[in-house]
Amino acid sequence: MKRFYRSRICLKFMVMLALGWPALLQAQQFQQQPQEEKELSPVSRTYAITNATVFQGPGRKLDRATVVMKDGLITAVGKGVAIPPEAIIIKGDSLYIYAGFIDGLSRAGVSKPKEEANRERPKDPGNPTPELAGITPQNDVRTFLNPSDKSADDLRALGFTAAQVVPYGNMLPGSGAIIQLTGKTSDAMVLAGKSALFSELTGAPRVYPSTILAVMSKWRELYRQAVQNKNYETMYAANRAGLSRPASDRILEAFYPVIDKRIPVLFEADKYLETQRVMTLQSELGFSLVLGDVKEGWDAIARIKSSGAKVFLSLDLPEDKKEEKSKDKKEEAGTLTPAEKEALEKRKAEFLALYTGQAATFQKAGVTFGFSSLSAKTSDIRTNLRRMIKAGLTEDQALAALTTSPAQLLGLSDRLGTVDNGKIASLVLSDKPYFHEKARVRYVFVDGIMYKYDVKETPKADAGAKAEITGTWSVTTETPQGKSEETVTFKKDGSNYSGSITGGRLAQAVSLEKVELNGNALRYSYTVQVGGQSFKVDVDATVDGSSYKGSATVGQYGSFPVEGKKDPNR
Amino acid sequence: MKKILLIICIAVLAQQLSAQVERGNMLIKGGTVLTVTKGTLEGTDVLVTNGKIAQVGKNLTAPAGYKVIDAQGMFVMPGIIDAHSHAGLDAINEGTSPVTAEVNTGDALNPFQVNLYRALGGGVTTIHAMHGSANAIGGQCETIKLRFGVKDPELLRMEGAPRTIKFALGENPTRVHGGGGIVPRTRMGVEFVIRQAFSQAKEYMAAWDTYNKQKIQKGFRGAPPAYNMRLETLADVLRGNIIVHCHSYRADELQMMLKVCKDFGVKRIVFQHVNEGFKVAPELAAYGAMASVFSDWWAYKLEVYYSTAYNAAILTKNGVTTSINSDDAELMRHLYHEAAKTQKYGDLNDDEALSLITINPARQLGIEDRVGSIETGKEADIAIFSKHPLSIYAIPMITVVDGIVRFDRSKDPDDMRIFVDPRQSVETTTLRETRNAHEQCMEGADYMFVKMFGLNLNEQ
Repeated sequence: MKRFYRSRICLKFMVMLALGWPALLQAQQFQQQPQEEKELSPVSRTYAITNATVFQGPGRKLDRATVVMKDGLITAVGKGVAIPPEAIIIKGDSLYIYAGFIDGLSRAGVSKPKEEANRERPKDPGNPTPELAGITPQNDVRTFLNPSDKSADDLRALGFTAAQVVPYGNMLPGSGAIIQLTGKTSDAMVLAGKSALFSELTGAPRVYPSTILAVMSKWRELYRQAVQNKNYETMYAANRAGLSRPASDRILEAFYPVIDKRIPVLFEADKYLETQRVMTLQSELGFSLVLGDVKEGWDAIARIKSSGAKVFLSLDLPEDKKEEKSKDKKEEAGTLTPAEKEALEKRKAEFLALYTGQAATFQKAGVTFGFSSLSAKTSDIRTNLRRMIKAGLTEDQALAALTTSPAQLLGLSDRLGTVDNGKIASLVLSDKPYFHEKARVRYVFVDGIMYKYDVKETPKADAGAKAEITGTWSVTTETPQGKSEETVTFKKDGSNYSGSITGGRLAQAVSLEKVELNGNALRYSYTVQVGGQSFKVDVDATVDGSSYKGSATVGQYGSFPVEGKKDPNR
Repeated sequence: MKKILLIICIAVLAQQLSAQVERGNMLIKGGTVLTVTKGTLEGTDVLVTNGKIAQVGKNLTAPAGYKVIDAQGMFVMPGIIDAHSHAGLDAINEGTSPVTAEVNTGDALNPFQVNLYRALGGGVTTIHAMHGSANAIGGQCETIKLRFGVKDPELLRMEGAPRTIKFALGENPTRVHGGGGIVPRTRMGVEFVIRQAFSQAKEYMAAWDTYNKQKIQKGFRGAPPAYNMRLETLADVLRGNIIVHCHSYRADELQMMLKVCKDFGVKRIVFQHVNEGFKVAPELAAYGAMASVFSDWWAYKLEVYYSTAYNAAILTKNGVTTSINSDDAELMRHLYHEAAKTQKYGDLNDDEALSLITINPARQLGIEDRVGSIETGKEADIAIFSKHPLSIYAIPMITVVDGIVRFDRSKDPDDMRIFVDPRQSVETTTLRETRNAHEQCMEGADYMFVKMFGLNLNEQ
């Protein structure tokens, strides 16, 4: 806990190093959309989805209804509505339509600023530049938006169409914006700029403010200085004669809209104690507060309610899996007795239930909340939603937290959140009710732009299928910077597999920690060490004869396509 | 400025409203009561109402609903107070600057640390959760009550306890900061840093005083001095609103600091560690400075070689208000042993020895009218021992904070964690603290020891 603040910052750039893509950062930053001038417009911007099950909003279901969209707006919803002749018709007989989901705190579509590796400790760590100190509230996330960023595509593929996004950084990275997950330029993505001043209780690496102690006091000082400056500017503006001119200060000026309560402060407050500390700042300074990515809020509900804070709960949940017996790990001296172990397991389960039940607990307490994908693995989000539902949230409540509630919390209810005439044409269409385990998203409309998701008949994982992996494989991992080639070797001992990986960006061969072949479903993982930090890479693939296809997931930092080809000679 | 003060007042008020401290009713029957300030009373009862000691006497009866603790054959003493601890904190050192008066450990409280419970298991009820000693002027500290079991960090605060701040002399600040154009590199530099900070605070205070006077005059128009939390805090030290707790070892630096205090009118100072305090005990007493020492811990670095186990006794006999502290999560659990050592080394009587861990640390924290002895009207922070707490055979049985039992040896489950991280594997669950127990004072600042004794360790 103590080293948390420092280590988290390190993580952010360590992971970039781990994956060895420093150039990627640069590339992303300067990909500011060269416009394709001769791109053809779609034939029509009018769509009609006919005969579908429409969930206009939580608890508002229409059977066999039609939704008509024109020029980015919903123009008709209902049975027997007239379909304009120019409309592109999508037969929705087996489809379920929902309003596009809204993510309350995210970094989808936001490029990471370039991090300098091995930054030297400044001569006077007590007086760093504001940039080193992580104090850049004057920054605007719109500067860092990248319409072709993969994270936006990933989030959209789940059904999200809008998100409040924030810049990367430490204590005060800048202001956030509400974007739609579409658009050819960064400005085209923006629905509302400067939606909130974003902040984290994160210290700066090795310079002031480096710990929670200094972050808290620096926050108070900046806020009070801003109040003081603003008051003086007001006085000066009323009558300038005889008064010295107020100095311009972009950092303090960034607080002015917060002081006027025109925008709230949006805090990343995932841990329970952070949630409490953020509310302490709010109670002292009096700004409007939004708590983002809350993971452990159940014991703070009473205070959250009295603080009037708005809440976006995290879509990240601790994994729920039985611990595997670590065979190769040395038995520690004085290992737990079965009774002790059982007692510890019980307490762990009790807390896991609190995490998964957080949303239901907030619901029961009558707190309106949305969700945040900030620290969630995209591939886990739908599973986690189902886990929350299993823990007591109803499907309607989950839908509200994805649509109407965030629309309300972000002040967008007149434009987003329901499938109603006049709203922005942002929809998600799935082939089964969305929260059904087997539901697949088939279409997403964002601002009237259609994204179609073909259900790829990828070689299906089949427990009965036979596959053989023993041997050497050439593996290509597709990273945004380019392809990375590795060599993976699998061995079989009895019924267990083992293996190793080398090449690519690995300094040396690393043995695979876990190799599982279940039918033709292949899973393996390995750990990359960079600068004393380790990053676990999980590969999930399906074997088809002498090749396999799948994805490599690096913690919460994203997943990338992987392809393996068996080397016939070895 | 007034507006800012008002905001602070409202905030404090709001916090008190939001946080409700639990207080209990009980009768502790028939124990030997070591009041510390009013002698030893055998076969005596202590009645606690709403978290406060309502009556101390014989044959008291418990009103309905009161918890009754049978203490016959046992010893009832005021809860132990540790004037120097770093438990219950998520961060200890903001070691990036030689002066960080504006930071406050009250912002880093962590009520989930199991160390707090273990301290209760040693009869401790109040601790001074201090900033570390990496900086010449460190951060403000928080006096907390060990209400282990609460989740809201605000509920750990000893509400209304005076403000305190950590200063540090000698090797720690010089090895963290010295060199590369940053003062202090030497003991002279440490003095300079403190004098410079106080001088700036004096100017700051004067500028605000002038502004506040002018502001109330009719038709005044002008800019206020720029708000600065560091100088604001130091100005509060100069105003006497914050007690200085100064990490120090050597007699020469004690004399130096006394002179600095005298020059700037700082009256309330407690020296921490003070291993060479025995050399300047009369001078400390004359100034009214207090001392918080180890019983017999030294030689862990150059500046603490000249030490003696008689330190506490010599300081006490010279009229210095002295306490024995732990600065360590393990030592904190047997401060009663540490106090007893002064009976072997220095022949202190029972009340003198017990004062070192009760009323004297309370005086050093400015909370002596609330805790530190068993007296009517004081807060019911009580430790019950099986034998006399200065006996090596004594076992802490029950520890009470605000009239609530927070530790009971007969009900002491294995797993006292309040918060469980479901990501942690059961196999690696350990109730041991993994951190290095010694030198907690420097925790979080160790990475900054790039230079020591003028050598750049990174280049070695």
